[in-house]
Amino acid sequence: MISIQSVSKAFRPAGGGPPNQVLEGVSLDVPASCLYGLIGPGASGKSVLLKMIVGLLKPDAGSILVDGADVTQASELDLQKMRLKFGMLFQNNALFDHMTVGDNIAFPLRRLTDLPEDQIKSRVMERLAHVALTGFEGRLPAGLSGGQKKRVGVARATITKAPIVLYDEPAAGLDPVTSQKIFELLREEQRASGATVIMVSSDLDRLLTVTDRVGMMYRGRLIFDGTTHEAKTSTEPRVRQFVHGLTEGPL
Amino acid sequence: MSNQVGTLEKQEHEELGPVGLLGAAAIDLYIGGRELYSVFVRTLFYTFRGRRDKGAVLHQMYEIGNRSVFFISTTMGFLGMILVYQSGLQAKRVVPEFTMLGATYLELLVRDFAASLGALMLATRVGAGIAAEIGSMVVTEQVDALRMCAADPIDFLIVPRFLASMVMTFCLIIWAGTVAFVAGGLTAYAAFDVPLQTFFNMALVDVGDLSIGLAKCLAYGAAIPIVSGYCGLSTFGGSEGVGWATTRAVVNTSLAIIILNFFISGAGFLIFPG
Repeated sequence: MISIQSVSKAFRPAGGGPPNQVLEGVSLDVPASCLYGLIGPGASGKSVLLKMIVGLLKPDAGSILVDGADVTQASELDLQKMRLKFGMLFQNNALFDHMTVGDNIAFPLRRLTDLPEDQIKSRVMERLAHVALTGFEGRLPAGLSGGQKKRVGVARATITKAPIVLYDEPAAGLDPVTSQKIFELLREEQRASGATVIMVSSDLDRLLTVTDRVGMMYRGRLIFDGTTHEAKTSTEPRVRQFVHGLTEGPL
Repeated sequence: MSNQVGTLEKQEHEELGPVGLLGAAAIDLYIGGRELYSVFVRTLFYTFRGRRDKGAVLHQMYEIGNRSVFFISTTMGFLGMILVYQSGLQAKRVVPEFTMLGATYLELLVRDFAASLGALMLATRVGAGIAAEIGSMVVTEQVDALRMCAADPIDFLIVPRFLASMVMTFCLIIWAGTVAFVAGGLTAYAAFDVPLQTFFNMALVDVGDLSIGLAKCLAYGAAIPIVSGYCGLSTFGGSEGVGWATTRAVVNTSLAIIILNFFISGAGFLIFPG
């Protein structure tokens, strides 16, 4: 269970000037084992919120409780321990350039657990098979296509079998067929593991086919939180315009 | 758009006034200094308590050391030739006698020039490389991914470079000094007919010179990865940010070397007078 309470965040621009308010009083509860879709126009604070949940960014105000523990009050050392609970796919995949695919996927296990190397290797092989990349373990990320990089990212995010997994734009820049495959893969992963998943995506057509609940962010505020069905049938003008991709409306 | 930004900046500058701007710069400098100090302390902590990946330090030793040999040999060779030639020309005007040219040049090299000039050369090659590599990892979220795997970026990225730089800067500076001295000796022979046996004179080098030179090697070896690593970690924005981080790394590392040179030389003169 993730409980976000009145979270606000502003960034001070590097060249000076007034602070840029990215999040303003965001409150949200994500139930355990739920696949939660976070939607909204660009620069509405979705990725910042994801990074706050895992403690990569600290809010200026508010609290974020993960299974009762406040992430915002945790020290870096405490966060290192807490991160065993999280898996994360970054927007740009964030694969380590200098490591092979196999080492990339094995990295969280090597750092977060004491598993022996042979068990780590078998887990890596199992993950690679699951994302249909068997035989790719020796390749470098530079030699992979966009879809393959995403799948490596998914394998790395899920290898620790963390109870909470966050996906930031898992289908960004991918063709429709690959996007659909990625979403189905993530749904299948979530069903198999029972993990709590928060997924940020602009690909609403596909996202809304896999989510249980949806939240919509707009200008740093959460303007909608409900089931996927409620999102699709919402009469709130901004939600309606965004979900249905209408050109006319308040956005 | 750029006009609007320019107008906003101008308005802000006018609102702050010169004293305000000076104060803002001082605060920025203080914050930067505090963060740099924090990186230094954490680097020392993880040097003893961190977790080393197999081969990480060796890989960095190769990157920092072996790959700099040609660059440092060439630059220090030419600098050695220029220094001896110019010194010889000056000496010729005062006392046309070159028996102590090699001895004074060697003392200067050991005490200061080999370490300082060599480190400044390394700051451009190694410092820029470290900042660019870490900076691009920051903007592509790889540093965030490291933190997600409980790998502190200081431990994973800076400590291997710190250890490698301590060892390889030491070795490279000794090599650079040797190259500069030999190049100087050949120049003295060719330009002023100074026999090589006369030039290779170690009479003026004492324990004090050696200690100061070696202390500088270690200090510069530590400063280069820490300052440039800090610049890389504080990168923001996209590729433009990486460019700025690289520039800042070269400027700040060079500054750090010159400031450290001042303090170590000062301490050296106090500890080893004469």
